[in-house]
Amino acid sequence: MAETTTTDSVVIPEPVTTYDDGGRKQPPPEKAADVRRRTLVIVSFWLIVLCLGLPIWWQTTTIYRAKLPLDEMLDWADGRACRPVFPLRISVEANDLQHQEAQNLVRLTQHALDDLNDFAGHHLRLQLASSGRPSETTAETDEDDTSALTIRLVQGDSTASALHPHSPVLDITYPPNSIPTQTSSSSALASYIATQLRSTFAEEQAIISYLLSTTSSFPAEQRPQGLTPEAADALAKRTTRSLRYSPTYHLTFSLFTGGHLPSSWDIEAAVAEFMKPVLDILTPIHNFTIDTQIQLYATPGVQSQVLNKEDLSSFVNAAEWPLSPSIGGAPTVNFIVYIGNQTIGLPTAEQAGSDGATATSQSWLVPQWGTVYLLPLPEDKAHVSASTLKQPLLTFTSHLLSLLGTPQSGSLPLRLSTLSRIRSADLLLRASSTLGSLARLSLALPSISIPSSVADGVSKTMSHLRLACDTLGTPGALYHARVAEEEAERAFFEKSMVGQLYFPDEHKIAVYLPLLGPVGVPLVMGLLNELKAWRKRRREAVDNGKAKKET
Amino acid sequence: MRRFLSFFLLSFLSFCVAASDYHEQLVLRPLPLSALLASFNFRSNTSLSAFEAHNYRFFPRSLGQILQHAGTRELHLRFSLGRWDAESWGARPWDGAKEGGTGVELWAWLEAASEDEADHKWLTLTNALSGLFCASLNFIDGTRTTRPVMSFRPEGNHPSSNSTNMRLFYGVLPREVVCTENLTPFLKLLPCKGKAGIATLLDGHKLFDASWQSMAIDVRPVCLPGEECILEIEQTIDMVLDIDRSTRPRDNPIPRPPPGHELKCDTSKPYHSDDTCYPAEYGANQQWSLAQIFGRPMKGTCPLSDPKIPPVCLHVPDSRGVYTSGGVETITSKDGLSRCFKVQPEAEFDLVLSHVETEGVAPPALAGSIIKPETPSLYAERSFTGYGQERGGVQTILRNPSPDKEVEFVYMESLPWFMRIYLHTLKARLDGSLTEQTSLIDEVYYRPALDRARGTQLEIRMRVPPSSTVFLTYDFEKSILRYTEYPPDANRGFDVAAAVITILDDDDDAKSTPGGSASVSSSNLRTTTLLLSLPTPDFSMPYNVIIFTSTAIALAFGGMFNILVRRFVAADEGPEVSLKRLKTRLQTKLGGLFKKLGKAELKNE
Repeated sequence: MAETTTTDSVVIPEPVTTYDDGGRKQPPPEKAADVRRRTLVIVSFWLIVLCLGLPIWWQTTTIYRAKLPLDEMLDWADGRACRPVFPLRISVEANDLQHQEAQNLVRLTQHALDDLNDFAGHHLRLQLASSGRPSETTAETDEDDTSALTIRLVQGDSTASALHPHSPVLDITYPPNSIPTQTSSSSALASYIATQLRSTFAEEQAIISYLLSTTSSFPAEQRPQGLTPEAADALAKRTTRSLRYSPTYHLTFSLFTGGHLPSSWDIEAAVAEFMKPVLDILTPIHNFTIDTQIQLYATPGVQSQVLNKEDLSSFVNAAEWPLSPSIGGAPTVNFIVYIGNQTIGLPTAEQAGSDGATATSQSWLVPQWGTVYLLPLPEDKAHVSASTLKQPLLTFTSHLLSLLGTPQSGSLPLRLSTLSRIRSADLLLRASSTLGSLARLSLALPSISIPSSVADGVSKTMSHLRLACDTLGTPGALYHARVAEEEAERAFFEKSMVGQLYFPDEHKIAVYLPLLGPVGVPLVMGLLNELKAWRKRRREAVDNGKAKKET
Repeated sequence: MRRFLSFFLLSFLSFCVAASDYHEQLVLRPLPLSALLASFNFRSNTSLSAFEAHNYRFFPRSLGQILQHAGTRELHLRFSLGRWDAESWGARPWDGAKEGGTGVELWAWLEAASEDEADHKWLTLTNALSGLFCASLNFIDGTRTTRPVMSFRPEGNHPSSNSTNMRLFYGVLPREVVCTENLTPFLKLLPCKGKAGIATLLDGHKLFDASWQSMAIDVRPVCLPGEECILEIEQTIDMVLDIDRSTRPRDNPIPRPPPGHELKCDTSKPYHSDDTCYPAEYGANQQWSLAQIFGRPMKGTCPLSDPKIPPVCLHVPDSRGVYTSGGVETITSKDGLSRCFKVQPEAEFDLVLSHVETEGVAPPALAGSIIKPETPSLYAERSFTGYGQERGGVQTILRNPSPDKEVEFVYMESLPWFMRIYLHTLKARLDGSLTEQTSLIDEVYYRPALDRARGTQLEIRMRVPPSSTVFLTYDFEKSILRYTEYPPDANRGFDVAAAVITILDDDDDAKSTPGGSASVSSSNLRTTTLLLSLPTPDFSMPYNVIIFTSTAIALAFGGMFNILVRRFVAADEGPEVSLKRLKTRLQTKLGGLFKKLGKAELKNE
C-alpha cells in the first residue's frame, strides 16, 4: 500500500519502491464492497454518536432555567416601567361660596400650586366637594373617600389657617372681600391656600423625592431638583434609623437591673395608659404584639458612670442579655429600661443641635433596633410603679414613631396617611430593585438553576407592582406593594437557587475523560483515516481520468 | 420509701407554690467509690394569665415565646452525658424522672387540631429550641420522632376540655455531644443567671468533666384546686462528680501516682506488706470542700427564692463532721441522715466535709461515712449480639432485685429506620430457662419503620418476677444506606437511642385516678445508647465505578470498532513497522522542514 505524506505546501511522493525490496509484498487490492462497508460502519457510528448520544447528554446535563422576563424586570429596576406619581386629591369645601365662585377659586389655586410645584411625582389635585354633602364632615366619612386632605373654607375676619388635630382637615378662614372675581387671573387667597398646602405636604414631598433619588437607577429627569444636601442628609439619617416595613411588629419591653432589685413592674398598666392610644391609631398600618420581661443581674457592656457617645453603642450587652428577636417572622422593637444612675454625657451645645432630637440625658435610640432608657431608682425599691414608667414610655412612644419612619410635622392623621404613602413608595422601590438584582443574578450566573417557583414569584411580583404603581397614593397601593415586596424577596432567596450546585470543572474532566478518551480516540482516528483514504481515492480517480484524457 | 418521698415532695411543692414564685435547692449526696451526686433544682412559676399576656417575670421570655408560638402545653428537654452506674450508685435521683439517655431527648405535648398542624408545630418547636440551646435539635425530623403510646404521661394538669387535641411527640438525638454551649443558655433561663445562689457553682469545666450528668428542663401547667393555674418551669442538673478528679489542682491537672507513703492500703489483705499494697476503698470518707469540688465557693443566695427553704442540703450520717463558713444556720433532720444549711444572702458559703478516721479498713466505718444508696427497683442493660455486616441482635437484661415484689414496666425502643427488626424474634425468657415465657409480655405496641420516613417504635408492657432476671431479645437486619446518607466519619457507627423503661406503679395509678388532677410521679430508667456499625462503603467508590466501567466499555468498544473498521492483511503485506522506518520517516520530514527554512532565508537575503 503506497503512502503519501502531506506537508503544508509540498507533496513529496514517497519513494515507495525503496522499501519494497526483499519479501515485502503489496496486499491484494481491496474489494470495492469492503471499502463501502467500512465507510458505512464509520458513518453509522458517528450518526449514533451525533444523533443519539449528544442529545441524551445534552438533555441529562442541562440545568433547568425557567424563563424570566428579564427585560421587564430590568425595566422595573431602572424605573422605566413605573413612574411613581402620587396624585393626591384634596377636596375643597366652601359652602359659603357660590358654586361658580368656588370653582374659580379652585382653578386659581390649582394654577398657583402648579406654579409652585417643581416635582412632577407629587401632584396635588384640588377638587370641589359636592355641595350636597353636609359641611360637618367627620373624620370617619372622610376615610373612605380618596381625598388626602379636606380644605374647609370658612368666612372670617382675616386670612388664617389651622390644621385640625384629629382629622385630616385644614381650616382656612378668609375675609369676605378676598374672593377672586370671575375674570381675575390671580388672587391673594388662592396663592395663600397654595402656599399653605405646599408647606403641609413639604415634608412628604421631600421624603419621597429623597427615596427616589437614593434609588440611583431612576432616570435623572425624574429626579427632583429641589433637595438641598443638608435636607438630604437629615432625611438619610431618618431613613437609616427607621425599621423595614412590616405589617406586624413585636414590641419587647425589658427591665434590666444590675442587682436583684427591683424585681417587678407595672408595665401592663403603664403600656395601656401611655402607649396604647398611639398604637391604636397606628392599627390601620401596623399591628403590634407586646411582651415584657424582667432580667436581673444584668451587667451592661459599659460600666462607667457617665456614658459618652461611643459608649452608647456598646452599652447593650448583646452576649448576655436575652434580647433574642421574637419568633414568627415580624421584626422586634426593643425597649429597654435599665435601672441605674448612669447618665449620658451630652455633646457640646453646637453638636446638641443636630442630635438633641433623639438623645435626651436619659435615653437614646438605637437605629432599627429600639431604645434604651436609663432610669435611676432608689436602691431598695422592689417594685416599679406605673407612674414611674410614665416618662420612659412616653419616650418609647415618640421613638417608636420615628423608628417606624413617621414624618415629624403635621397633625397625627396627616402624618399617618403620609406614612402609608411613604411606605408604599418605599416598598415599591425595594421590590423593583430586588427584581433587578434577580435579573442581573440570573444573567451573571449562567450555571445557576432557576426553578419555576421563581418565575412564578416574579410574575406575581410584577402584577402586584403594576397594581401598586397604578393606585399609588391610595390605601390599596400599600397592600399591593407589600405583596410585591414579599414575593420578590421569596423569589430572590429561593433555597434551591441560593445553594447552587457547585460542580467544579476538574470533576467534569474526571468523569468525562475516562469514558470519552478510550471511546473517542478510536472513533476520531477511524474517521480521520477514512477521510484520508477517501481523499486518496478521489485523487487517484482524478489522476486516472487525466491519464485517460492524455492517452 | 419512694412513695413516702414523692408524697413529701408533693406536699413540699404545694407549700412552695403558695409561698414563692421561685425556688432553688442543691442536694449533695456522697456515693460509694469516691463519687458525689450533686442535684441542682430550680423552679419558677408564672400564672397562666400572665404567660398568655406575654408578661414574663421569672419565666424566661425566650423559652416562653417559643412555647406559645408552637402551641406547646408541656415540654421536657434533656441533655445527658455518661452512664449512671446503678450497681454501685444505687437508685437514680428523682427516680430517673429528670434524666435522659445520652445525647439530647425532647418530648412535648402540643395542642393542635389536625395531624398536619401538629407536625408543623413540632417542626417549629425543634427548630426554635435548636437555636435557643445551641443544639442540633433541628435534626429531629420524621425519622427521629415517635409518638409513644404507653410510655409517657403528662406531668402537668391539663383541663380535660383540650386534652383530646394534645399530641405527644418524642424525639431523640443520641449522637449529640452535650457541652458548655448548652449550659450557657440553660443558665440564662434562670432568674439569677448564675450570678447568685447555688447556680454560681455551675461551671462548664466541672459539669462536663463529671462521670454522669443530666440537664433537664420541664415546663408544665399546674392547677391546684381553688387556685389560679400556674405554669411551672423546673430546671434540674444532676451530676456525679469523681471527688479525686475534681479536687485535682487546676494548675496541675495531670494525674500522677501518689508517693508510696501516701498510699491508702487495705491492711486486711494477707499479702499486705511494705512493698505490696491493695488500694483501700477510701474515697467515700475523703475530706472535701465545696470550693474544691466545684472550683469556687457559692456566692450568697438568690434573693428571689423563698428564704424559708434552705438552699443547700447534704445527705451524710450525723456522725460525720461538717464545717461551714460563718453565719450559716444548720438544720438537722430528725432521722439523722441529712442536714440543710441556711445561707446569708450576700456572704460566700463554703462547706467542708471532714475526713473519717479509720484504723485499717473496716466496713462499718465506711457505712458511717456515707449513707448506703437505695437499691433501684430494676436494673437494665442492653447490648448488641451477633456478628457480621448483615444481621444483628439486641439483648436487654432486666433484673429485679426485690425479693418479693414484681415489677411491671413499659419498655420503649425508638430505633432508626435502617435497623429493621424482626418482630417474630422478639422473645422474653427467664434466666435459667431456655424456653420463651410468653406470660412475661403483657402487651406489645409496634409501629414498623418506613425507609427514610420514620423509625421503628416498639413499646412492650412486661413484668419481671421477684428476684429474677429476664432476657429480652430480638434480631434485626442492617440495611445499606445511600451514598449521601452516611454521616461524616461513618466508620464510627450509628448511635441507637437509649431504651426508655417506665416503671408502672399500681398504687400510684390507683391514687391519681380518683383525684383526677394529681400529677403522676413517674419512675424511669434508661439504658445506655448503642453503637451500631453498618456496612460502610469505600467513599471513593463513585470514581472507581466511573473508571472501571469506562475501562470495560473502552475495551469492548475499541475491540469491536477495530474489527469492523480495520483491514486485515498478511504480516508481510502491511506497512513495515520498525524503528528504522520511523527514523527515516522522521529524517525525511525534518529534512523537508530544513529545506523550507533554508529557502526562506535565501529569499530574505
